[in-house]
Amino acid sequence: MQVYKAFFKIILKNRIQLMIYLVVFMVLALLLSSSYNPPQDTDFTKVKVNIAFINDDIDSPLVAGLQTYLGENANLVAIPDDTQKLQDALFFRDVEYILRVPVGFTDAMLSGSAVQLEKTTVPDSTSNIYMDLLINKYLNTANTYTTYLPGLSQTDLVAHLQEDLANATEVTMISSGTHSAYAEKSGYYFNYLSYSLFAILILGICSVMLVFNNTDLKRRNLVSPLRSANMNFQMILGNLSFAVITWLVLISASFVMYGSFMFTATGRLLLLNSFVFTLAALSISYLIGNLVKSRGAMSAVANVFALGTSFISGVFVPQALLGDNVLTIASFTPTYWYVKANNEITAAVNFNAASLTSIFTSMIVILGFAVAVLAVTLVLIKQRRLDA
Amino acid sequence: MFLFNYRYRLKCIFKDRQLMFWTFLFPILLATLFNLAFANITSSDNFIKVNVAVVQNEALDQNPAFTQAITGADDLFVVQNTTRAEADALLQDNQIDGIITFDPDLNMVVNQSGLNQTIIRGFLDDYVQSNATIVTVVTENPGSLENGILNGISSRSEYLTAVSASQSAPDPIVNYFYALIAMTCLYGGFLGVKEVVAIQADLSAVGARINLAPTNKLTVFISSMLAATSVQMLELMILLTFISGVLGISFGDQFGYIALTCLLGSLTGVTFGACLAAVIKKGEGIKIGILIASTMTMSFLAGMMSTDIKYLVMTKVPILGYLNPANLITDSFYALYYYNTHTQFFTDILLLCGFTLLFSTITYFVLRRQKYASL
Repeated sequence: MQVYKAFFKIILKNRIQLMIYLVVFMVLALLLSSSYNPPQDTDFTKVKVNIAFINDDIDSPLVAGLQTYLGENANLVAIPDDTQKLQDALFFRDVEYILRVPVGFTDAMLSGSAVQLEKTTVPDSTSNIYMDLLINKYLNTANTYTTYLPGLSQTDLVAHLQEDLANATEVTMISSGTHSAYAEKSGYYFNYLSYSLFAILILGICSVMLVFNNTDLKRRNLVSPLRSANMNFQMILGNLSFAVITWLVLISASFVMYGSFMFTATGRLLLLNSFVFTLAALSISYLIGNLVKSRGAMSAVANVFALGTSFISGVFVPQALLGDNVLTIASFTPTYWYVKANNEITAAVNFNAASLTSIFTSMIVILGFAVAVLAVTLVLIKQRRLDA
Repeated sequence: MFLFNYRYRLKCIFKDRQLMFWTFLFPILLATLFNLAFANITSSDNFIKVNVAVVQNEALDQNPAFTQAITGADDLFVVQNTTRAEADALLQDNQIDGIITFDPDLNMVVNQSGLNQTIIRGFLDDYVQSNATIVTVVTENPGSLENGILNGISSRSEYLTAVSASQSAPDPIVNYFYALIAMTCLYGGFLGVKEVVAIQADLSAVGARINLAPTNKLTVFISSMLAATSVQMLELMILLTFISGVLGISFGDQFGYIALTCLLGSLTGVTFGACLAAVIKKGEGIKIGILIASTMTMSFLAGMMSTDIKYLVMTKVPILGYLNPANLITDSFYALYYYNTHTQFFTDILLLCGFTLLFSTITYFVLRRQKYASL
């Protein structure tokens, strides 16, 4: 098994380069899957928009009432009243709405004269519409009271407002079955996995192929007493074991993070899908390994391929947010089908014939890629041998 | 000698295909990918009318005020009048965000919590709350009924005026591209490394040859660095034209200042690479490795992978932002795009000058008067 041993000797020589992608993946997977918290499906919870509330008026009970009301329906974020700090907060979406109460607001409201509050928002956003609704509601109700009950004191007004605005509609939540909190997180994990898997396989297999395809070495190997079938067998074994080992290493963290969830139907389908994808990635890496001529080109191709397919296939940005044209292009890569299957696996609450058909179709497409690319590579190798 | 070396260094750089890939094609490729991936993200913020189904039944007919209210709210909702069964089916298919039904009290049926559902809730609460207000007012002042409180409550005044934060839209996507340009500037460090390797007698044969020549090493080195900066500046300009022209990312309209930022960014990047190459006494592989690792870390902190990181640094550890050349470059573009004043921009630019000067000085003191006993 000299060839097999040589295969892993070369891989080990390149371990640092390969480890980088492993570490990148682990950090990404840990950070992003731990930060994302799926919403609870059992109870209806109001979505609270982050807003900044700035009062230029006196600290009147009316202003305090408005602030309390907004505090109940939105998250008040404390931001210093400084133009640049407020601009920054809006730009980076620390807040989505900045409300400024002008000087003389309380007096104007109580006397029923016109007054305008300044809002600074993300234009045309949904949160903007919602906050407008809330604030106008409060002020219009206050206006109704001051118009029809003129003698009302400010404290009574605020008390009335608070009482009225505490009324709420009843909400019925229809939940369509329980959905594990891990489902969505593990979906992210497995989507990111494709990036690192692709990069590691391309780099690893390319570095081996570069050595074995070196003309002098190749000639030396061809004159050796080892039968060429035997040598090819060892090479295939080497490629396969490298791919499987990489796959095992990359999925290992999912067992630590999600535990028994990985043995449920969802978990098992995710594992199966990632294994099928590993075969396609291996096949593509083998093709690239036979095409690439230098180590410099190798890291360029690995980056372009791994990053490029990941970006357009929805690994980093959800497929739902990508344009149709992008997705059409992406459907010519196995990554697209892998991510699509992952999304369907994690979205399904229970698997029925329709969802399973769709998932397995994607997997078959991925396998198709593996076979097709392998066929192309074998033809290419044959062609080269004839040319040489 | 100066021009001679300059011309040949340009040739050397342009012929280095790997170098051209990483400093030129790779950023353009990344920018294209960013654009593909982020194209729809900001528009997902945009308000699209909420789809609701109103269940038609007798209880609804007894509340004509509600029908009137929801008809009036056509800027918020797309209403479908259905039976309960149809509404349930629509909700199941996620065709609508929620069902509104009188049963016999006002009730909302949803299958998840979200901003759209919250808006429906807000609207319904509004209706219930208005009723409560009418009851309170009429109880305390029965005369108000004649004074038209019912009309008064349905005619709403607008209390809010929009004031824009800046002349440019608060679009966090642009920051990804600014950080990408910052990364490209620092990738100019590859050129800096190349130039130092080419002039040091212990690092390359060309370096040994140059050290033998009876020319001032500083003159040769300055012309080499100028060649590197020229290439870097050219690459940046093409990248910038590509990002703004082809991808349509806004940079504001202060072209002079934008060019100044590119120039200083190139200088910082090239001198950064030269400084690393001069200080680190290991092989070229290690130098490049450290260059990539530090550039990536700095770009990460400048928000290239997530804009939240930049904001976090800005608000929690501002000093880290000022010590990070990638962030300074990103921030210069950001300030030009978004701020109304130039204070922040000039602070960033001055600090970039400081970094360029620092890197150049270190490189100068390491490279000068080196003597070799044997090569």
